[in-house]
Amino acid sequence: MTGELRVTWALMRRGLNEVLRVPGASIPGVLAPTIFLLGLSAVFGEAAQLPGYGTTNFTQFIVGVSLLQGAGFTGAATGVNLARDIERGWFDRLLLAPTPRMVVLLGIVGSAALRCLLPVAFLLAVAFALGVPWPGLPDLVVSVLLVMGFATAMACWGTVIALRFQTQQAAPLMQAVAFSSVLFTAAYAPLDLLAGWLQVIATINPTTYVIEAIRAGFITEMSLEQLGWAVLADVGMLAFFAVLAIRGMRRIGR
Amino acid sequence: MLRPTLALMRRALRNAFRRPQFLAPLVVFPSLFLAVNTGGLQATTGLPGFPEVNSFLDFQLASAICQSTMLGGVSAGIAMALDIEAGFFDRLVVSPIPRTAVVLGRVGAAGVLGALQAVWFLAIGFIFGAEMAAGVGGVLVVIALGVISALAFGSFGVLIALRAKNASTVQGIFPLVIVGLFLSSAFFPADLLSSPADVIAEYNPISYLAEGLREPIAFGWDAQVIVEGFVAGIALAGIGTSLAISALRGRLRAAR
Amino acid sequence: MPAIETVDLQREYPARRGPGLRAVDGIDLAVAPGEVYGFLGPNGAGKTTTVRMLVTLLQPTGGRATVAGYDVATQPAEVRKRIGVALQAAALDLLMTGREMLLLAATLHGIPPADVADRGADLLERVGLSAAADRRVGTYSGGMQRRLDLAMALIHEPEVLFLDEPTTGLDPTSRLTLWDEVRRLRDEGTTVFLTTQYLEEADQLADRVGIIARGKIVAEGTPATLKAEVGVPHLDVTLAGEDHRDLAREVLARFGDGRPPTEECDLSVALPDGSAGLAPIVRALDEAGVQVASLDVKEPTLDDVFLAKTGEHLEGAD
Repeated sequence: MTGELRVTWALMRRGLNEVLRVPGASIPGVLAPTIFLLGLSAVFGEAAQLPGYGTTNFTQFIVGVSLLQGAGFTGAATGVNLARDIERGWFDRLLLAPTPRMVVLLGIVGSAALRCLLPVAFLLAVAFALGVPWPGLPDLVVSVLLVMGFATAMACWGTVIALRFQTQQAAPLMQAVAFSSVLFTAAYAPLDLLAGWLQVIATINPTTYVIEAIRAGFITEMSLEQLGWAVLADVGMLAFFAVLAIRGMRRIGR
Repeated sequence: MLRPTLALMRRALRNAFRRPQFLAPLVVFPSLFLAVNTGGLQATTGLPGFPEVNSFLDFQLASAICQSTMLGGVSAGIAMALDIEAGFFDRLVVSPIPRTAVVLGRVGAAGVLGALQAVWFLAIGFIFGAEMAAGVGGVLVVIALGVISALAFGSFGVLIALRAKNASTVQGIFPLVIVGLFLSSAFFPADLLSSPADVIAEYNPISYLAEGLREPIAFGWDAQVIVEGFVAGIALAGIGTSLAISALRGRLRAAR
Repeated sequence: MPAIETVDLQREYPARRGPGLRAVDGIDLAVAPGEVYGFLGPNGAGKTTTVRMLVTLLQPTGGRATVAGYDVATQPAEVRKRIGVALQAAALDLLMTGREMLLLAATLHGIPPADVADRGADLLERVGLSAAADRRVGTYSGGMQRRLDLAMALIHEPEVLFLDEPTTGLDPTSRLTLWDEVRRLRDEGTTVFLTTQYLEEADQLADRVGIIARGKIVAEGTPATLKAEVGVPHLDVTLAGEDHRDLAREVLARFGDGRPPTEECDLSVALPDGSAGLAPIVRALDEAGVQVASLDVKEPTLDDVFLAKTGEHLEGAD
């Protein structure tokens, strides 16, 4: 087992190289969620004047959405990187090692959980600097863990697509799902204020429950019930995409 | 001058349509964003100070067109950078065609795509219940402004590519150019923007471009708004194209 | 027990409709331990598909294959522990240094990096990368990347080494370095399975050569026996002018069968005894007054073998 842990760590460590050794390349990915947070707040800030938001600070309302967006894009980027590794033959090398394929998968998607911490930390720093109130340590830690779980789920999705199409050109497919799962929710407004069709989608979309829990943490306090639903949704998405990714790994070379 | 420009335009368009996987995101992502914005923020039309509109969708169509043509500009830049990386650019430059055609062909192709992008969003809009306050003439205005905005963003995309020289840098610049859109009245009425975005938006030419696009859809025929849209767009396109051409000349001098 | 054994190995790629494409169409191989086996064929003959099946990256659709005594389809993990592989694309992470890559390769094989630090340094020395070991792979030349790839394939001391077109696209110097390394591995007792589209490479390195065309092995044996099978050396004659062509043909006919003229020569005659048969022919031509521009003794090549078996020339053949 220690050998497998070592392999997982080595692969996660390699995933971090992209961040640590080409700092310039990761800047857009790190900045993007923050830019969206600032941009959306500047543009739609007045929306929080409507009844039902629970705060008049729109930034406070959508900070959770931006955190998940950062995680979603990190997850999609993991898929793009895997597709690139497949194109370049690097992935063959991993498959040729006696390391079990599940360990390889774990290393790949695990790196997304760590990498998403970079945009998340940057975003939180900017948000707090702009006056978003401190949510308290427990709620913050729980929120970050939920976000990491979501990044891993999206990395599993990216993996599924990368294994299926084996080309970086499939990137928009990975991103579109990450994008949609975060935004087709109660992202910009409470459920009650959404258009009817979006209300239906948002109620079905598990990410809504993750957003609502994180949002509650940032505005008031995360209730145990909200936490329960959020964990269920997060774990559910992770399990669903992980099963698809495992199936994808098993089918290689068939 | 015209013939090589048209030839390069045709090539750029043909390549774009041969790779639908690169073309689709130009309309897919703004469409998703349009859906999310209109579905999520429809209640904001009730805010005090929000102008009288038929629906939030009518209001948002212009921002989707702006966003889509902006993405088109980024992808024109990426295509140009890929030409530079692949060495095809050098081949063009050593050929006897006028060098400005290299820029104009690429920008022109973005303009043609701009017309299609405008049509796409008008079609989606009409399917989901948007109205055209200015009638049939308004459709033509929107398409014309779509072309101009695509020319404007395309010229800046090409300019960035000529300076950056590699595709991943051009791609990385995207989150920064979207800032230009956020700091304009493309998404929301200027009066309702938070400070300091409201002040910047007042001087941002993209605001005028977006409002020119929005006017015929959401409000009607206010000649001043529409003319300001054309002027802002043409000015942006002119500046971007001139800068791109001078960047091209500078590049060639530096390479010597 | 052979190091590599296949029985009727097949791989079919499904087609949208109709029968699929048989990339590998029933291959039987038996490679002895310590042997260098050269798998020679043109592009698209099925070499890479065969290798990918042998190294467990691709499932066979028919037949079976064992490597180091384990079945590639049912015991892939056991196979992977015992093989080293350098595939066509030198699959490297450009952001890592050569030494880091080598240690990562060890980790992937379950060896703690600390245990292979010495062996890693030795290998880097052997492939001539000691000085570049701590530079990022992105700064390496194509030849250096291939050499690092080879070192990575060797870090866990594999029983069987697979090299898929190891020198395609390499400069002559890097090619020679790689050849030397393969010879050294053979001397150390490693089984090497090498695919190539270069005649000379198979000729120089392989103890035995299998020639593959359209998914089937068309000839197999040592380079010498294969060449002997297709024939004997020939003397190619290029005349100084057109005038004596008929006369020359008459003279040469006395010495045996010829070959059809090619672009490079006008006439040709078999030399069953090799160069020993040369002198009488030269004398006879001279006596007949035939003006000769050049004489060239052509030994049979593996390309002649390929030509004899398939009716086509190998791509890249000289």
